[in-house]
Amino acid sequence: MSWELGIGAAIAFAGGAIGTGWAQSRIGAAGAGTIAERPEATGSVIVLEAIPETMVILGFVVAAMIIIMVK
Amino acid sequence: MIQKMKSVLVAGPKKDFNQIVDVLYHTGTLHLEDVNEYLPPGNTTVRKLEPEHQSEISALLAKIDGILLLIPKKPEDTEKEGRFYDEIHRMTTPGVIERANHLIGDLGETTRDLSLKREELEITIIGLGRYEKIIDKIQPLEQQLPILQGFEVTVLIVLKEFSDVLDIIRPMLSEITNNQFELISAELDEESIAAITVFNKKYSEQVHNFLFSKNINEVRIPADYANMPLEKALLLIDTHRRNAIAERDEITEKLSLVSSEWYPELSGLRKVLAEREEEIRAYMNFGETDYTVIIRGWIPGKLISKTKNALEESFGDRVVMTETNATEKMMERAPIFYDNPGWARPFEFFMQLASPPKYYEIDPSPIMAIFFPLFFGIIVGDIGYGILILLFGLILRYRFKAVKWLHQISGVLIISAFPAIFFGYLFGEFFGNLGEMMGWLEPVTLFGVTWNRMEAIVPLLIVTIAIGVIHVVLGLVIGIVNGITRKKRKHVCEKCGLLGIVIGLLVLLGVIIEMLPSYLLIPAFVFIGIATILVIYGGGTLGAIEIMSTVGNILSYARLMAIGMASVILALVANALGGAIGIVLVGVLIAVLLHALNLILAMFSPTIHSVRLHVVEFFSKFYEGGGIPYGPFGTAQPPVKK
Repeated sequence: MSWELGIGAAIAFAGGAIGTGWAQSRIGAAGAGTIAERPEATGSVIVLEAIPETMVILGFVVAAMIIIMVK
Repeated sequence: MIQKMKSVLVAGPKKDFNQIVDVLYHTGTLHLEDVNEYLPPGNTTVRKLEPEHQSEISALLAKIDGILLLIPKKPEDTEKEGRFYDEIHRMTTPGVIERANHLIGDLGETTRDLSLKREELEITIIGLGRYEKIIDKIQPLEQQLPILQGFEVTVLIVLKEFSDVLDIIRPMLSEITNNQFELISAELDEESIAAITVFNKKYSEQVHNFLFSKNINEVRIPADYANMPLEKALLLIDTHRRNAIAERDEITEKLSLVSSEWYPELSGLRKVLAEREEEIRAYMNFGETDYTVIIRGWIPGKLISKTKNALEESFGDRVVMTETNATEKMMERAPIFYDNPGWARPFEFFMQLASPPKYYEIDPSPIMAIFFPLFFGIIVGDIGYGILILLFGLILRYRFKAVKWLHQISGVLIISAFPAIFFGYLFGEFFGNLGEMMGWLEPVTLFGVTWNRMEAIVPLLIVTIAIGVIHVVLGLVIGIVNGITRKKRKHVCEKCGLLGIVIGLLVLLGVIIEMLPSYLLIPAFVFIGIATILVIYGGGTLGAIEIMSTVGNILSYARLMAIGMASVILALVANALGGAIGIVLVGVLIAVLLHALNLILAMFSPTIHSVRLHVVEFFSKFYEGGGIPYGPFGTAQPPVKK
């Protein structure tokens, strides 16, 4: 397996991770403020916080597909 | 399923008003509604009930709470409290108010005075303690200083990190005081340095201003201890401090006595007052005429006879409760009372994340109870993890029987562990590829595909998207059914259109990959075209956007495959790492730790994503929510189901 595959997979995953990290950090900050004022919104905030998880998962899938499927 | 709710009207003679309310309060089944919403405009017979004593009771409650805050708690005497409660509970409201006033008059002032005095003493004690510490430290320095008349002594405190500031202010002080000063410093404690400066009293004001402008912390020794040798000052401070502590303890003792004497009565009184206040707040919903009182509300069908019996027992024929015919508009406001079968009840926990359904809607919790474990199983898909999750759920359930939400979560985990084990068997996974490596089991071959999650990526992707299609189509169908029940034509059109587009796209896909005959191509396009028109007719531009979002939602189900794969690879890494390390013990330890991490992720992540799939993708197809949970008058929460 050549090194290009590795780098390609790493870039794919890194992109997803950075995107998710940035998105979730802002949601987390807003969420912390919301919960401080209205504790009954905790459930919704947790769900909102988890929604951007998709990006990193898809990034990981692409990285895995590159490593596994590209010959 | 959602319980049947009946709209009822209770009417009775006005003179029995308090008792009627009391009986209803203690039966705790009626969900109140405001009478005024049902009255035709311009009616003069029925007026809103004016509750008396409301502000008085609120004020009294506030005062009692204030007193209760100040005196130490004595919860042991619940029996005594119970007796007081019974006694006061029977009194009429004016009587209760009078007693409360009497009690508060006696206690309120004493407790407040004592409490204030105690706070003052606390502050003094702390202050004295601080002086003591400082003087203690600078005492050795005192010897080095000349004791001169007309000179003033000031103590400065500087944080160690800013200790350079002393060197900076030295030349400046020298300038201000014409070199008639002395500055010596020593370490006070780990963080700060104390410095004494002695200078001519003439320059007192300038020096103090200068120090203040540099934000240097000055300790002003209070006048009582100022003009005496530090040794004597120390002794004096110590004595004062001891006296203050003794006095404070005395006050605490007094407050404790007050508490043991009056606490049970106060808290019993408080309970009664709180109940009365809630009752009075409910009165705002009632209506009255000259001789009758009118109450409207909702009762679940099951509990109507119980309430009727309670009313009959207390009042015979004098008070009447009738069911009224509810119009559709009224039913929209009916409260929701769940009565799900046991296997669906843990999933009500997730319904909290969306608001409760409106009365006429189909309750989604049973559907969630079927699909959630399925999604969970596909994502986790490991026999070993499934068994561990089952054990964990069982432990949670029996250890924390009392905590409601833990009970529900444990139910969810236990139910979802079984599909996880099943899919683990299908994928041939036992702690990742441990099972395969040891030759215990291997992935099952179905439909010509060996379901090894690492290799059969594309078939798995297709399966998960197929699940997505089924789920979304189900959601759309439910949306159509809801729309038909409420006779909302545009809604039905939009949902039918979306459904049509999904089916059309599927047929198109089938033709492209040559699973379906190619003559279906043109009809598929036509079908999609008609469906698009339906969508735009039913929903407008928003409907057109809905098309894209629906397709996106279906694709979103690919996460079932993706997250599962992530979990598999982590398990693989755990096994590989464990095997690669030469020392068996260390290898096993590392593998166990990584598997533990993976297990925790496997409990948290699939739950969140499955819930997200339901709440965002599934519910958006049909759910409206915004329902009112059933909160009957008399208890703060819905009654606990037996």
